[in-house]
Amino acid sequence: METGTSEPPPPSLAKRVLVGRNPRNTLVRAVVWVVVLVIIAKFVLVPIRVQGISMLPTFPSKGIKFINCCAYLFHPPQRGDIVAIETTGRHVMLCKRIIGLPGETIAFHEGRVLINGEPLSEPYVKFPCNWEQPSELIGPDEYYVVGDNRSMDFFQHDQGRADRHKIVGKVVP
Amino acid sequence: MTRWLLRAGLLALLILLGVWGYHFFFPTPQDAIRRQLTALAKTASIAPNESRFARAANAMKLIGFFSPDVQIKVDIPGSSPRTFDGLDDVRTAALAAGNTLSSLSVEFLDVNVEVAPDKQSAIAQLTAKAVIPGQTTPEIQELKIALKKNGRDWLVTRAETMRTLR
Repeated sequence: METGTSEPPPPSLAKRVLVGRNPRNTLVRAVVWVVVLVIIAKFVLVPIRVQGISMLPTFPSKGIKFINCCAYLFHPPQRGDIVAIETTGRHVMLCKRIIGLPGETIAFHEGRVLINGEPLSEPYVKFPCNWEQPSELIGPDEYYVVGDNRSMDFFQHDQGRADRHKIVGKVVP
Repeated sequence: MTRWLLRAGLLALLILLGVWGYHFFFPTPQDAIRRQLTALAKTASIAPNESRFARAANAMKLIGFFSPDVQIKVDIPGSSPRTFDGLDDVRTAALAAGNTLSSLSVEFLDVNVEVAPDKQSAIAQLTAKAVIPGQTTPEIQELKIALKKNGRDWLVTRAETMRTLR
């Protein structure tokens, strides 16, 4: 008389890969991963679609980048950082480089940026310009931002002072 | 247990439907303004295959969103500031756009609405996105729009462009 119970057949490789040995645990893990990824994509590393020629040649006119929203938790934005600036919300954001810090004066002379009267070295600018703008004081909670592509007319290029609270984070190149 | 779960699920669904229905039929001023602005953007858009007659009709329909004393101030970098005063100016501009552009897609994004305490006027700040054929990137412009209540509708009394960077 046989007393042993028959073992159920082992799950197929495809099933093991897709749902694992314990489907309930796999489901819980998947839900946790989805929640974690949603939180990261919403509040930590936000994906954005770059459109436009303002940041050429650093960023191509089309592409996907990420905003590091935690970049400025422990220190303020730095000169040279490429940042995302929100409009009335975060559906559309401007992607610009910080060239002027709070309390500084900024001017353009023969296309060169002058910070407190001193020329700023900008190795990332590949398209020269001849912008001329008088000196302007940057407010205590403001940053002066501009795109890397200076080939267009000064007034056709979105640039200027951005409030600190409108800077969403640092764009990861 | 299963029956209880089913009942709880059905009850939750009913509650959700009730809340949605209440908001649909009795919208808050903020929701009503958002709906009105969405309709305005849709009316301002021009479909590629739209006939001249339909475009003219849309231009006439568009002025229904504005109060008779509406004032629209447009000040964008690279062009001289312009002001449109009254419905005639708005109608003329809408007809001109309809005649000039082959198509236009307008969308209002991130609409922030602040309603006055008397609930008779409001200010909306939004980002307008316009896709114009032939342009590789859409036109983006922040707008500040003042509205006043007129019966069940909200009419635009003033609109002006805002600069994201100063």
